Amino acid sequence: MTALDRAARDHKGRVIAALAARFRDLDLAEEGFAEACARAVTAWVPTPPRDPAAWLYRVADRVALDALRRQAIRAGAALPPPDPEPNAEDLLMADSTLIPDERLRLIFICCHPAIHPEARAALTLKLVCGLSTSEIARAFLIPEATLAQRLVRAKRKIADAGVPFEMPGPDAWPERLSAVLSTIEIAYAKAHEDAGGAGRHAGYAREILDITAILASLIPQEREVLALAATVRFAEARRPARIDSAGMMVPLDRQDPALWDQALIADGRLHLARALALGTAEARTLQALIHAEWCLRRSLDEPAPWRSILVLYDALLELRDDPVIRLNRAVALAEIAGPAPALAEIDALDAAMLADFLPWHVVRADLLARLGQYDAARSTYDAVLQLGPEKAERLWLEAQRAAAGQ
Amino acid sequence: MQYMLLIYEDEAGYGDKQDTPEIRDITARHMALVGELGSTLVSGAGLMPTATATTVRTKGGKQAVHDGPFAETKEQLGGYYLIEAPDLDAAIAIAKRVPLRVEGAIEVRPLIVH
Repeated sequence: MTALDRAARDHKGRVIAALAARFRDLDLAEEGFAEACARAVTAWVPTPPRDPAAWLYRVADRVALDALRRQAIRAGAALPPPDPEPNAEDLLMADSTLIPDERLRLIFICCHPAIHPEARAALTLKLVCGLSTSEIARAFLIPEATLAQRLVRAKRKIADAGVPFEMPGPDAWPERLSAVLSTIEIAYAKAHEDAGGAGRHAGYAREILDITAILASLIPQEREVLALAATVRFAEARRPARIDSAGMMVPLDRQDPALWDQALIADGRLHLARALALGTAEARTLQALIHAEWCLRRSLDEPAPWRSILVLYDALLELRDDPVIRLNRAVALAEIAGPAPALAEIDALDAAMLADFLPWHVVRADLLARLGQYDAARSTYDAVLQLGPEKAERLWLEAQRAAAGQ
Repeated sequence: MQYMLLIYEDEAGYGDKQDTPEIRDITARHMALVGELGSTLVSGAGLMPTATATTVRTKGGKQAVHDGPFAETKEQLGGYYLIEAPDLDAAIAIAKRVPLRVEGAIEVRPLIVH
């Protein structure tokens, strides 16, 4: 990776956010940044600037100003004289600590409830995390042209409907924050699905850690923000243990805790402790507690914490009754009460709604096999494999299928 | 910016009489909002029920006039407010204050700027 690639990737979100906040125009911010990168290709040879982010920001800012000036001239407006062009030496010495951090504001714009929920996640990944359209399209399993069109439509809505570029006041936060948090959850779910981390979705798990850290540092008084930051840390900490040496997925209760990233777990606990200090647990706090419970395990010799997990899921169901939570609860229930009551629970869920939800089939297949219903188990595994799981999951499912009835 | 707030409710709820306590009540609530909005309000009106609607449709170069609204829907356009607001959030805040008989929807649409 060249110095420019690295700088573009690392600083895109910060620079675009600052430009978007300054010009109140997402397209202008993106175009300015792209043009600055294009100019860097020649300008950074032989010596890259001391502070690449600052260089990109200053040049992109200039490009955007020039574009606005040209627009104004076409519209026949009288203009003040242009600011002096920054000289090469200025640019080499520019300091990125002077770029205002407007990423949170940009997150709130991208996650406005007036924007389609799927477009919110895509827009956030594009503008705040700096992912390319093709990377996001692969993560969302949709054609790049479709995604590009969705992004254009969302940006047009932001501009035409007058979505404000100001941060919403605290009275609007309950509604607005929930849109932000669920967008991050959608985005993270895509990154998490892929156990191996080498697949289509893993590239931006790191970015989600960053975003949640930014949110938690800027809105430290909101429990659910801290809880989500904790959950993402616990889940990412386990990534190294999620596949074995053959590239096969390892389910949570069989992962070797020695491989978990203890520093990330400690960071997760810090966020969770701060969330708990703010009062009664809400749904996201309970989810973080479930992850925290798993992360207490130190070795495979210790029993898996199924009993406390079940209690936590019972509490979570009281707050948020949805099929995914019921499914997860059934997994714990199977360990405590046996596979039969667990299967009864998940068969009572809305099958039509869960038809494309891979984990539902996986849990069902496993419970059927444990109940000795091998034919049903095998055909359920076949149905799961039809859904096109990632390689690590596929290898595990194939092994499970082969083991059913052996 | 100017925004149109389009009020959609199930008009059946109002019955077919024009002067009922229910209609007097919602009219008073609209009037109260009009008073609160002051100069933010550009204009607004309630519409007669869709039973009074006539649609002129142009298709394939021909025009036809027929009875009824342009589409049969569960909730019907029953009135609107045209307001001046700095941005979408401000318009949404006003949309949340528009009175409804029981339930319904307010569609917020920016006007084209010329």
